[in-house]
Amino acid sequence: MSGYAKPLPRITPDNGPFWEAARRHELRLQRCLACGQVWYPPAPVCPGCLSDRHQWAPMSGRGTVSSFVVFHKAWFPAFASETPYAVVQVELEEGPRLTANLVDVPPGEIRVGMPVTVVFDDVTPEISIPRFRRAP
Amino acid sequence: MADGATIRDRTAVSGIGVSRFAFAAEETPLGLAAEAFKAALVDAGLTKDAVDGLAINIGWPLGVDYDRFAETLGLRIRFVEQAWTHGRFAGPTLQAAAMAIHTGLATCVACLCGVSFTRERQLLGGPGDFEGTREEGGTHQENPVYGMTAPAAGAALAAQRYFALYGATSQELAAVPIAFRKHALLNPGALMKKPLSLEEHQRSRWIVEPLHLFDCCLVTDGAACVLVTSAERSRDRRKPPVLIAGMQGLRAGRDDVLFGRPGLGLWQQRTFRWTPADDDLLVYRMASLTQRDVGALYTYDAFSPLVWFVLERFGFCGPGEAAKWTQGGRIELGGELPMNTSGGLLSEAHVSGWNSIVELVRQLRGEAGPRQVPGIQVAQWATAWGDSLIFRR
Ligand SMILES: [Zn+2]
Repeated sequence: MSGYAKPLPRITPDNGPFWEAARRHELRLQRCLACGQVWYPPAPVCPGCLSDRHQWAPMSGRGTVSSFVVFHKAWFPAFASETPYAVVQVELEEGPRLTANLVDVPPGEIRVGMPVTVVFDDVTPEISIPRFRRAP
Repeated sequence: MADGATIRDRTAVSGIGVSRFAFAAEETPLGLAAEAFKAALVDAGLTKDAVDGLAINIGWPLGVDYDRFAETLGLRIRFVEQAWTHGRFAGPTLQAAAMAIHTGLATCVACLCGVSFTRERQLLGGPGDFEGTREEGGTHQENPVYGMTAPAAGAALAAQRYFALYGATSQELAAVPIAFRKHALLNPGALMKKPLSLEEHQRSRWIVEPLHLFDCCLVTDGAACVLVTSAERSRDRRKPPVLIAGMQGLRAGRDDVLFGRPGLGLWQQRTFRWTPADDDLLVYRMASLTQRDVGALYTYDAFSPLVWFVLERFGFCGPGEAAKWTQGGRIELGGELPMNTSGGLLSEAHVSGWNSIVELVRQLRGEAGPRQVPGIQVAQWATAWGDSLIFRR
């Protein structure tokens, strides 16, 4: 898949395990071992209790669309052939919200509150990007 | 509880100045800022030697930095504050200046913003929008991996969420840019010169859906300068002082997000029926005033939903009520609460909010000509992200 021209995530010590899990088609977020809070985006400490002890816990992958926007202009050249394209925020069952795209849902059919479930898009040998599809 | 009463009315704006505003100015931000600075000195009847403090908003690469400015203008500065490269720091920059005056760190602080948004347009979206990879979260919720970029996108997410929560509509939102355009038509310095109708608003292209072209601020160049001194010193200046009566700081945390207000459920915010608590309204307590005393309200109207959010954030109306509240000319000149009477970022020019602060001072001095709010005694600067200052004559 060397032809993937869209921006790729910048891997950091904080988010590395998120992208390693995604490569295995698993959605994992940090869960605090002291207070149990699940958080996103990836960060070195728990926003609830500041503990730096956490596990990368598997998520259900289920959530709902909490908001969305539609881009009619491609600021990034690699998105030009896909306009209009939508970007959604998905509120996971576990609480945190992720930014993502939906697959197989035209922008005009997206609604706030729509149930969705995670899928993984293998865009390079190293990177699989979580996106969402309409939940069955 | 400390309520800031010791600073109430102890500092003042004693001079204002602007450069010309333009869609593609030939001047650099440095040149524009110098023009605004010189105009402010003339307005105050001061020479540059009186200025011993600089409080800069924006900075390089969109704007001018404190060190180049002091060197270029031949200043001798003993207090500097330079805020982040974002317009939301207009209020905090003024606050830093007032605190520096009040504590004696400086006697006259020039608050400056000189920007060239047209020249540095690539910073506002796409591959040049480097903030999209900032510590796992773009300032405006950018995420280039998903094609999420540009400040307008964050505001559009907030608007969509608000529409869904409260049943508000884009037609209702249009009342905001239409009001500010009417104000711009009364302002010879404003860049937008044509009336705006609801039909034109609705027909205009999407910037990021659900925000139309006319829900988004102008992309312009310009500069503004606001001179802050002690109230005492301001009394023998050329123009009547505009006192800083109260202030409150910029909010941050998981319940805060740029381009929203608490409770909306954007990004990592909790969703709940948020109403302002006492500490969210410190500015009124410090100024010994209430919302009812405010003769005109000025806000950072980079995108029209921000006007709704600031009205709810400061208790002018309840959560979800701003869409209806802003109908029928209420925020227009002649209405109950005129807002952004020079046309704001939506129709005057985008000088990162500073053009609206300059207009606020003009209003309190009675210098606003055909846009003058009759008998105005108190004006407020307040933003959707919770910072504020109250000024009075
Ligand atoms: Zn914890």
